[in-house]
Amino acid sequence: MAEFALDCLGEACPVPLMKTEKKMAEMAVGDVLVVNIDHSCAMKNIPEWARKQGHNVEIEEVDDGEWEVIIEKTK
Amino acid sequence: MSGFRAFFDKLGKNKFYVMIFKNPFTYVTGAILLSIFQVVTLAVTGEPWGVSGTFANWGAWLYQLVGGNVDKWYYFSSEGAQATLARGFLDDPGTMRNLGIIFGALAATLLASQFKLKKIKSIRQVVAAVLGGLMMGYGARLAFGCNIGALFSGIASLSVSGWVYAIFLFVGAFVGSKLLAKFFM
Repeated sequence: MAEFALDCLGEACPVPLMKTEKKMAEMAVGDVLVVNIDHSCAMKNIPEWARKQGHNVEIEEVDDGEWEVIIEKTK
Repeated sequence: MSGFRAFFDKLGKNKFYVMIFKNPFTYVTGAILLSIFQVVTLAVTGEPWGVSGTFANWGAWLYQLVGGNVDKWYYFSSEGAQATLARGFLDDPGTMRNLGIIFGALAATLLASQFKLKKIKSIRQVVAAVLGGLMMGYGARLAFGCNIGALFSGIASLSVSGWVYAIFLFVGAFVGSKLLAKFFM
């Protein structure tokens, strides 16, 4: 049940999603990944991708134009 | 002051405010709005919606501002282009549309409380942005349109060229994503 962080601040689409996919592939079931983003379309495409994969996803607005996408790997 | 703050805090949580200004529209909503407004643009200004052609005119006006002259340039040699340049920066529907995009985007991000000055992560990002911008601008002028003027308005005008553009858009996106994975992953 490890927790990982992925800093994607300052990165534009689709780089945050590509990095998230890569990082998630390396993780074990039950692990949690926190992705930091400040590109609003990543707030749409990362959760969309993760939910389609069946993972648990939460989005938190941490500041103006800054979000944390929290993904729990379920399979 | 605290009254102001309470008012805006409340407004920011209002169901309709969140729906319209805070959450992104769905792709379908966006597509419908774009379709309606491109018809409005065509009806009001008599020309299909385009974006990048106007930037070439902005360049010409900037060049004239510092004493340059584009009369002899092949790109601006047509009567229509000369008439557009003669009318000037403010008397141009393209200028109004592009300013609308820029200030509209700023207003939208402020209304959603999502404005942020982003840091530049690496010199690589700067190089890619400058190179990509130059290539997109130059390519759009060679093709007489960008993804709006040539693709969106082209297809909306039942022009085959819009569909040809679409096919090569996918080819370009494929090559671009390979380059992205190579240099930014």
